Amino acid sequence: MKVGLFIPCYINAVYPQVGVASFKLLKSLGVDVDYPLDQTCCGQPMANAGFEEESVELAKRFDRLFEQYDYIVGPSASCVVFVRDHYGQLLAKEPHRCASEGKIYDICEFIHDVVKPTSLQASFPHKVSIQNSCHGVRLMHLSSPSELNIPYYNKLRDLLSLVKDIEVVEPERPDECCGFGGMFAVEEHAVSGQMGRDKVKRHMDTGAEYIVGADGSCLMHQNGIIAREKLPIKTIHIVEVLAAGL
Amino acid sequence: MSSREDILQNIRRNTRVRYEKPDLSVLEQGAITYADQVAQFCKVVAEVGGRVVTVNEGEDVNALVRKLYPDAKRIASNLKNITCATFHPDDVEASADLDGTDLAVVDGRIGVCENGAVWVQQDVEQRAVYFISEALILLLDRKNLVNNMHEAYQKIDTGEYGYGVFISGPSKTADIEQALVMGAHGARELTVLLL
Amino acid sequence: MSTKHSKAAEKFQENKELAGWHDQTLWMMRAKRDKISREVPEWEQLRDMASAIKMYSNSHLDLLLQEFEKNAQANGAHVYWAKDADEYCSIIYNILHGHNVHRFIKSKSMLAEECGLNEYLIQKGIDVVESDLGERILQLMHKKPSHIVVPAIHIKKEEIGELFVKEMGTEPGNNDQTYLTHAARKNLRHKFIEAEAAMTGANFAVASTGEFVVCTNEGNADMGTSQPKLQIAAFGLEKIVPDREALGVFTRLLARSGTGQPITTYTSHYRKPRKGGELHIIIVDNGRSNILADQEHVKTLNCLRCGACMNTCPVYRRSGGYSYTYFIPGPIGINLGMLKAPLHYYDNVSACSLCYSCQNVCPAKVDLADQIYRWRQKLDGLGVASSSKRLMSGGMKVLMEHPSLFNLALARASWVNSFPRSLVYNGLNDWGKEHEMPQFAKESFNEMWKKGKVK
Repeated sequence: MKVGLFIPCYINAVYPQVGVASFKLLKSLGVDVDYPLDQTCCGQPMANAGFEEESVELAKRFDRLFEQYDYIVGPSASCVVFVRDHYGQLLAKEPHRCASEGKIYDICEFIHDVVKPTSLQASFPHKVSIQNSCHGVRLMHLSSPSELNIPYYNKLRDLLSLVKDIEVVEPERPDECCGFGGMFAVEEHAVSGQMGRDKVKRHMDTGAEYIVGADGSCLMHQNGIIAREKLPIKTIHIVEVLAAGL
Repeated sequence: MSSREDILQNIRRNTRVRYEKPDLSVLEQGAITYADQVAQFCKVVAEVGGRVVTVNEGEDVNALVRKLYPDAKRIASNLKNITCATFHPDDVEASADLDGTDLAVVDGRIGVCENGAVWVQQDVEQRAVYFISEALILLLDRKNLVNNMHEAYQKIDTGEYGYGVFISGPSKTADIEQALVMGAHGARELTVLLL
Repeated sequence: MSTKHSKAAEKFQENKELAGWHDQTLWMMRAKRDKISREVPEWEQLRDMASAIKMYSNSHLDLLLQEFEKNAQANGAHVYWAKDADEYCSIIYNILHGHNVHRFIKSKSMLAEECGLNEYLIQKGIDVVESDLGERILQLMHKKPSHIVVPAIHIKKEEIGELFVKEMGTEPGNNDQTYLTHAARKNLRHKFIEAEAAMTGANFAVASTGEFVVCTNEGNADMGTSQPKLQIAAFGLEKIVPDREALGVFTRLLARSGTGQPITTYTSHYRKPRKGGELHIIIVDNGRSNILADQEHVKTLNCLRCGACMNTCPVYRRSGGYSYTYFIPGPIGINLGMLKAPLHYYDNVSACSLCYSCQNVCPAKVDLADQIYRWRQKLDGLGVASSSKRLMSGGMKVLMEHPSLFNLALARASWVNSFPRSLVYNGLNDWGKEHEMPQFAKESFNEMWKKGKVK
């Protein structure tokens, strides 16, 4: 089982430590993981803004880059699910297909559903509030969406429960959008900013020290709010918690 | 060409795939049921702002109505056994004359346990009586409770007048700042007398 | 980079107290919906069936509408077909005119809003009175609905109190909701009694019986139609359902989804005209039959107009109904506006963070967010895409297609961190209006990997 690590553009640029933690975490779980060089972007920002055709070349590059791997695993639910849900259509005209969309996983999903560890070495003696991201919840099914009448489950909580000394909570309105949404955050900045402030406040109301999530983009957005308003809470990517101490 | 033909032709031209009619039997057979129908019905009627008063074997319905609404002066009913009624709703000249009715006592055909709705099939000419009076009493036989709307729709009829209504609680609105207020246009109070 | 929606939303957010109240109040409706839907174990199956029935009925409209017409006529109703808004308005006017009607009472109908019925009739000298409390308030204020189920949600009780002093002679300063509601009850009671004709929309029209169903909480539809003997009902042609069995599904979903009630107070079934009266039914197309041909958007015809997608939409709750340029706001309104006139209503397409909550609450499973995503792809072709967004996307494309450029940018990026604030947080940086900029790492992951630092 050969795994290609997918590091989305903004993680590459802003949160490389999330990439490092992802690599270490997978290795510690005995996964044969490699990083194909010269990755850039999956194409989601352009597509969500309405320029899907500008993602086609990126999709082709991506597909070629990960050709030799059995699994593609990345620490960003939203980017992963973009590949999964849109590449089939974006690359419909391509004669040679590697079908990235069929073998790509968010790292939490991969560890939870494929690796299935029963314990982790990590210890994180803090109270954390889970950021259930929209695409993680509603497109990737990382947890039961609050709208549906189905039994509760949450893969992030399951994984965090393997970490020692941690206290895990979820905010009120547990999966309401934080307001990032790519270029939405710029184009609709007033609403996006208010959504972000509301979200951070609900995380703070739990008494948590950290907002922890599987989507770095939601965390980046909330982090920008926290820094602007000088709020007493921090954000952290879930892999950094799961890899704590490695 | 008439608009009717235009529209129908446009529909035919634009309809791409004809989807099958779904079989609802699995849903209907597995739909919610209640072990204690009376308790469930009473609970929901209260939740929607009404009340259920159970009438015991041999109890005098008219005495009960008077006890529940001692101040009602104009009481409308088309039911023969409601002798406390002061008039029959079809005895007015115009529906407007029903304005000022304090209480109407009418027949409920089916009670739905999942939502507290009672099916009223029009059985008077002036159906305004169901809405215009200040308070409404629906008489309902507990044998006519059903679990859910699927069961209800198998049993309802709109009768010779061609009208029927499910009524669940008193008239209400929350149009001013979402504050719930009973008595928007229809009855302010609703009582189901469960026989 | 802004749209009419984003500008109006920014303005809405200026009054933080009101905007916060709006968000919280509509969220409560969503929360009530969640709670009551969980009391129905077969909820998700109900949604599946509602969607399947709509897919069936909307793909058999020609047959079902004719079946409805035949049965309604057999019941004694007059049936009309209106191609567009003009025809709909003139049919209604002709019926009223033919019966010498001057006082006309209406219950809430989004179709009437869509077609501009009130303006049309008032211009022709007919006194149209809205009887739904929220609609009546708006009519007296000369305002439009900001939500399809709770149309006056944006109006404060103080404004209503002031209005009622003038219009209904209430005590000045008494803004108690119960007091005001009962004042309107008394005031409108006269309007009901004096009306010479009454009109309703329809939530469902049943092909197999020729009846139509109207759902209200106030009882205004029934108060109206039980007074004058001339009754008019009009509905968009997608309101057709095959039979009463289908009503069993929809009546279980509608109020639970919209307001969190187990069912509306009144679910009225109109099958025949009243004795000695007349019943006129108008089937309206107004663009709906064209939507059938658009496979990417045909599911908008599943919509029950319950309002659940508005209540859950984080953008709608924080921007209000008036920030949208189409008369129906929120996720369904974005899509219906684009189907109506894309060049006119494209400004609403920005009002979505693609959170997909709307798709999950929709009782008839309209793929609302997927459709908004698709509309975004079409804006460029329509010539209305944001030029700055295109520039950003184009720039990203070039950067991302060339790893050497991307890596170069990554290497230089942390340099941006040290820019003076005045350069970074200027009026042109819309991100900077709400947040601090992310801090670029000194070394990108690519860089670290190449240097063997990732172990």
